Amino acid sequence: MNNATDNHLMEQVRDGKVEKLAIIFERYHVMLYNFFLRLTYNRSLSEDLVQDVFIRVLKYRSSYQGQDKFTIWLYKIARNTHIDYLRKRKDIVLLDEQLDKIASQEPLPPEKAEQAQEILRLSQALAKLPLKKREALILSRFQDLKYKEIAELFGCRIGTVKVLVHRAIKELGKAYLELSGGVAS
Amino acid sequence: MKCNQIKEKFSDFLIGEIDEIKRKGIQEHVTVCNSCREELETLSAIWAKLGVLPEEQPSNNMRTRFYATLEKYKKSLEQEKERFHLGKLLVGWVERWMPRRPVFQFSFALLLLVVGLAAGYFFHSSWQRGGEIAELRQEVLQIRQIAALSLLRQESLNERLKAVGLNSRGEQPDEGTLASILRTIGSDTDIYTRMATLDDPYLFPGFSIVKEELAQSLSEQTYPLVEVALALVHHIEHLK
Repeated sequence: MNNATDNHLMEQVRDGKVEKLAIIFERYHVMLYNFFLRLTYNRSLSEDLVQDVFIRVLKYRSSYQGQDKFTIWLYKIARNTHIDYLRKRKDIVLLDEQLDKIASQEPLPPEKAEQAQEILRLSQALAKLPLKKREALILSRFQDLKYKEIAELFGCRIGTVKVLVHRAIKELGKAYLELSGGVAS
Repeated sequence: MKCNQIKEKFSDFLIGEIDEIKRKGIQEHVTVCNSCREELETLSAIWAKLGVLPEEQPSNNMRTRFYATLEKYKKSLEQEKERFHLGKLLVGWVERWMPRRPVFQFSFALLLLVVGLAAGYFFHSSWQRGGEIAELRQEVLQIRQIAALSLLRQESLNERLKAVGLNSRGEQPDEGTLASILRTIGSDTDIYTRMATLDDPYLFPGFSIVKEELAQSLSEQTYPLVEVALALVHHIEHLK
């Protein structure tokens, strides 16, 4: 029902009622923001990328066919936006450096310090994964996409996505253990 | 099921995309297989741990920027619509005046082509009549003569030799240029410059003053080689 509504809204945007994009924005901007945030660990950059996604939606609205699930189409644009950003930027701040900056810049209250350390370690471990594995893991774990949808998004077979996610979790576990000093918590 | 087949289903097990029979199969297998149990426990632990990563809210600035962009885009669309409307009016006007039958359309197109060609021909010839090219040519010639003159006055032998041939065939030389050329033939310290400069007066055939001056120069020559060359040149001119 929700998908039909998304598709219907996007069809209206395609046909010239661009103001309907505001409803789509309200539905999906937080989801996209968190997707980018887990890829880049940079808040202002993530906001810029979300903005860029919606500019592209307007730009390519006439190519919207409505045969895909709307969120898949939106994620396709989001992935391309991120990849283009990586290509264009020569002075990419490495994710690890970004996380180190966060660790040093944000003083936390003592009661939350342990949880914050856990979040930081997990984020650092996640940042060590290759981009495609990180994307597969983020999309399946946080963005609630099914393997079939991720396969459609990546343009590969479902089996390939399952292997990607499996390996991503294994590598993440290994990296997390290393960051915790080799002791599982 | 073998361990490999079981491990292939761990991803489905974690995400919950698995039917009850397969889930039970995995659970039964891991109770008897230590290796698979350890791997599943590790994967499940890290999968669950990821839940601590919070979902964040973007700043309000993002919303403000989005609505500003949307507003701008809407305005540009409206302007485009207006332009499209004007275009449609123009197309309608052309359609009203365009003949309906293909044979008339063809005749009309042919007429436009003829008018275009005639206009092109008219403007082209009037431009040529304007004599702009002739003026430019004259200016170029003057510049070449000035360059030749200044080169002939140089101390360096190489520079003086560069002046040879800078003048153009068939053009009336001005007095200064001719005097310089004749001076070079008659009195340049270098015999090769004199010989090379000999070519220049014959760039101006048919000008009697040139012939007279050269005849006089022959009697004043001190270098036999230049005398012979001048005499030969005279002889050839005479044969012509």
